[in-house]
Amino acid sequence: MRCEYACNSAEHTLSRRRFLGGMAAAGTVGMAGGFSRFLQPAAAAAMNGKQKHLLVVWLAGGASQLETWDPKPKTITGGPFRSIETSVPGVRISELMPKTARQMHRMALVRGVNTHEDDHGKGQVLMHTGRPEAPGNPQPHLGSLAARFMTDESNPLPGYIHITPGGGGSGTSEAAFLGPKYNAMFVGNGQPPANTARSGWFDEPGDVARHTMRRQLNDRFATRRRTADTEAYTSTYDQAQQLMARRDVFDVTKEPAEVLARYGTHDFGRHCMLARRLIEAGSTYVQVSHSNYDTHNENFSFHLEQVGEFDQSFAALLDDLAQRGLLEHTLVVVMSEFGRTPTINQLYGRDHWSKAWSVAMAGCGITAGNVVGKTNEKGTEVVDREVGAGHLFHTMLSAVGLDPKAGYEVDGRSIQIADPAAAPIKELLI
Amino acid sequence: MRILVVVVLAAGMLAAPSAHGGNLLRDAIDQAIEAGQAGKLGPPATDGEFLRRVTLDLTGLIPTSAEARAFLDDPSPYKRERLIDSLVDRPEYARRMQVVFDVMWLERRPNAQVPADAWRGYLRKQFAANRPLDQVVREILSADGSDPKTRPAAAFALERAGDPHVMTRDVARIFLGRDITCSQCHDHILYDDYKQSHYYGLFAFFNRTYLADNGGPDGKAALGEHAEGDVTYKSVFKKKVTSTTGPHVIDATDVKEAPITKGEEYWAYPVGKGRAVPRQSRRALLPALLTSEQTPEFRRTLANRLWAMMMGRGLVHPVDLDHSDNPASHPELLVLLGDSLATSGYDLKAFLRELAKTRAYSRSSEPPPGLSPGDLAPEKFTVAIMKPLTPEQMGWAVMGATGVVSNYKLAVEHDLYEVNPKLRDLIKSDPRRTQLGIELAEEELHRRLDPSINGFVQHFARPPGQAQDAQTSTVNQALFLTNGDPLQTWLSNGGTYLNGRLVALADPSSVAEELYLSTLTRRPTPEERDEVTRYLADRGKDRPRAMRELAWALLTSTEFRFNH
Repeated sequence: MRCEYACNSAEHTLSRRRFLGGMAAAGTVGMAGGFSRFLQPAAAAAMNGKQKHLLVVWLAGGASQLETWDPKPKTITGGPFRSIETSVPGVRISELMPKTARQMHRMALVRGVNTHEDDHGKGQVLMHTGRPEAPGNPQPHLGSLAARFMTDESNPLPGYIHITPGGGGSGTSEAAFLGPKYNAMFVGNGQPPANTARSGWFDEPGDVARHTMRRQLNDRFATRRRTADTEAYTSTYDQAQQLMARRDVFDVTKEPAEVLARYGTHDFGRHCMLARRLIEAGSTYVQVSHSNYDTHNENFSFHLEQVGEFDQSFAALLDDLAQRGLLEHTLVVVMSEFGRTPTINQLYGRDHWSKAWSVAMAGCGITAGNVVGKTNEKGTEVVDREVGAGHLFHTMLSAVGLDPKAGYEVDGRSIQIADPAAAPIKELLI
Repeated sequence: MRILVVVVLAAGMLAAPSAHGGNLLRDAIDQAIEAGQAGKLGPPATDGEFLRRVTLDLTGLIPTSAEARAFLDDPSPYKRERLIDSLVDRPEYARRMQVVFDVMWLERRPNAQVPADAWRGYLRKQFAANRPLDQVVREILSADGSDPKTRPAAAFALERAGDPHVMTRDVARIFLGRDITCSQCHDHILYDDYKQSHYYGLFAFFNRTYLADNGGPDGKAALGEHAEGDVTYKSVFKKKVTSTTGPHVIDATDVKEAPITKGEEYWAYPVGKGRAVPRQSRRALLPALLTSEQTPEFRRTLANRLWAMMMGRGLVHPVDLDHSDNPASHPELLVLLGDSLATSGYDLKAFLRELAKTRAYSRSSEPPPGLSPGDLAPEKFTVAIMKPLTPEQMGWAVMGATGVVSNYKLAVEHDLYEVNPKLRDLIKSDPRRTQLGIELAEEELHRRLDPSINGFVQHFARPPGQAQDAQTSTVNQALFLTNGDPLQTWLSNGGTYLNGRLVALADPSSVAEELYLSTLTRRPTPEERDEVTRYLADRGKDRPRAMRELAWALLTSTEFRFNH
């Protein structure tokens, strides 16, 4: 019988005493559980000036690998588009991405992805947590892990920012047991995060005065009743004020018009530009969603339009990150919940296909110009170096310096940060 | 009714005669907590602290400034006991218990199968009638959603989609105090007590159950169950050994099942995803067994969870990690609490009243000077533990303090009593109708204000489907309270709202008093009166503005955020 729940038995290395000690240290506010092998990694990383970043471009709905990273021109499954040369000799991608093709020397492709999951919701969870969804036992998403383990407490920007079309999102459970502090903050439509503008009911001197009064009250209370919980509570107001002060980071109109023109004058262009601004300002994890690739009909005309947008904005983003020296500290990942069927259906669409598809990576920790894995001639099967979501997850964590084998304790359960059944794709890592 | 300690006390410490002569549960509790702690116990809470604490714990609200004044100025030495007795008879008590048990049992899952109103209304009715809690648990675990009369009670299973693994995990955690999630794959590595056989013994009650796509009222989903299907499992460490188990609770032996006659397995045979009804239901065997005397873990866990709700921490902590490597801080007391609860017929009201009347409950959260951190370790309960307000308490406290609740109450009462004089006379003519009028007004108030509570739940609650005990402070919460719409507007309303009341007071000291009583349920100290006076001197040109700022500072203070 397969164990559905990902509790890492082999890694139960912690002694009872150490665990119970960790429990005692955790207050009622805050997570119930101690972390064993993460001794303030974020603070340590910040002190070494080695803050790492993660930027995930999420092609929602499932982008076609055949119209992006793994084209099969002139085959029955290939569709109408050709492939083109890239800046890496011998590596060809879809002609829909001419600008990205010129960035290929900064990127690596994983062409042997098989995730065994053709459902949108489950595929999304799988790709973000690196393990299959287990009912009633949610695992933290990549962004929440980054927020928890890679973000310095003093960073005024939220550790996990998700830029979506419209700025909506209901990620109230992505952090799972890490606690809501590590959930995504959603932004989009050029709007900064909710409630970051000073309320109109307070003028500036009044705002200063009310905070001063609040601090006086708290200081007095804390002389006799200071706990980890009261400290955690009062510190969130300082964080809120810092975030309000950095509100302009979210304002893409601060960028010159020619920069926007380079990214593309559409939502995705603005969102990629915002992502670059946020990484530049020190955000740990930024995700940009591009919607929607779920092309059950008219796959080719949709991809022509969507991938065209993607190509321009993504190439500008990579270029900017590289020019500013940010790319070597930033892991960039382009992924979906799955790919699309090689078989073209009668509506000229492609359906859900997790058996053989591609993921692209670039930047921090990744060997540039590399291609790992191969599909067969028609793209129907992986024929070399097959990897699953677990391998990708291990690889992403390793690339940014998080030990995927590290474990943490949650309510008495010891859990490995990445699925113990998988391992990093070594040949992709520097 | 008082709960009498009828259990023979095992430990000498508890068996000692009570200093107060009787053998009330509250005395036994205080003896157990205070044993060996002489000179290290915190002083009693002030009247204001006590009033705020017990009102929040038993009704989910904070007192109004008028209620606070009345209580503080009441010279009677019996006022705390009288307060406790009156609080548990208010409709707000049933409401508070509804929220506590809704959150404990459904863990904020979206109400996909049973409308929230129906489920919550069902719960509220049980607590208003003070129905024995074991009966309620049997009912929620027995209902399968097919009978319209008991469908609300079926929410526990239906909202978990009848998933056997989720049911196993949550029944073990919520009712047996054991998070045995790990034991799905192997005996727990760290805790000798948590066996894989425990997981699958419980799983065997649910393994034949599924969510059928019909069978409920109006063709809605209900639980179906197959007549066969045995449970086998392997440890991931010993893949060659396959074990088989029948249904059992923890270490008990398998429940005896009646033999099934071939060809007579079902009342309703399974068709596709339709609802099958077996003649012998495994699931139906659990509720009575779980709540029976043979399962001491049930009463122990329930008592521990109620203790944690009142005292801020379980005797076993965390409440779902009850095992021998994580012993209770006061083992004999926990047994006593569980047994007393069972012996009283699971009388929730009496149990909570008794807890509220202990010295342990009514201590100050402020440690006396000179105690070491060891003396103040939370598991010693030498001072009261500060509890962050739950999302609902926070919402109601903010709306209470700013005057939203009292204004809406006036409006509701106006609609009930003033629009139709005949109705008013009818209600007032008969005590039973008067009581009904009070309950109707409370329900209507909630109907109007519950949407405002949702914003607080959204910001302050843990993710759905997870234990809701621990709380975290987040920057989103601070932003919501700092700039979010509802609070800033409530702080700015004039008239009989807080801002209006403060603006109407000329004397700064009176402003301070009304402000502190409305928000923190106490009168300000002389220093705090001076502080308010100075603030108004600095910022008081625009009085509504200044009052808004002051009130905001108090509402976002630590003292407000915690039930202290």
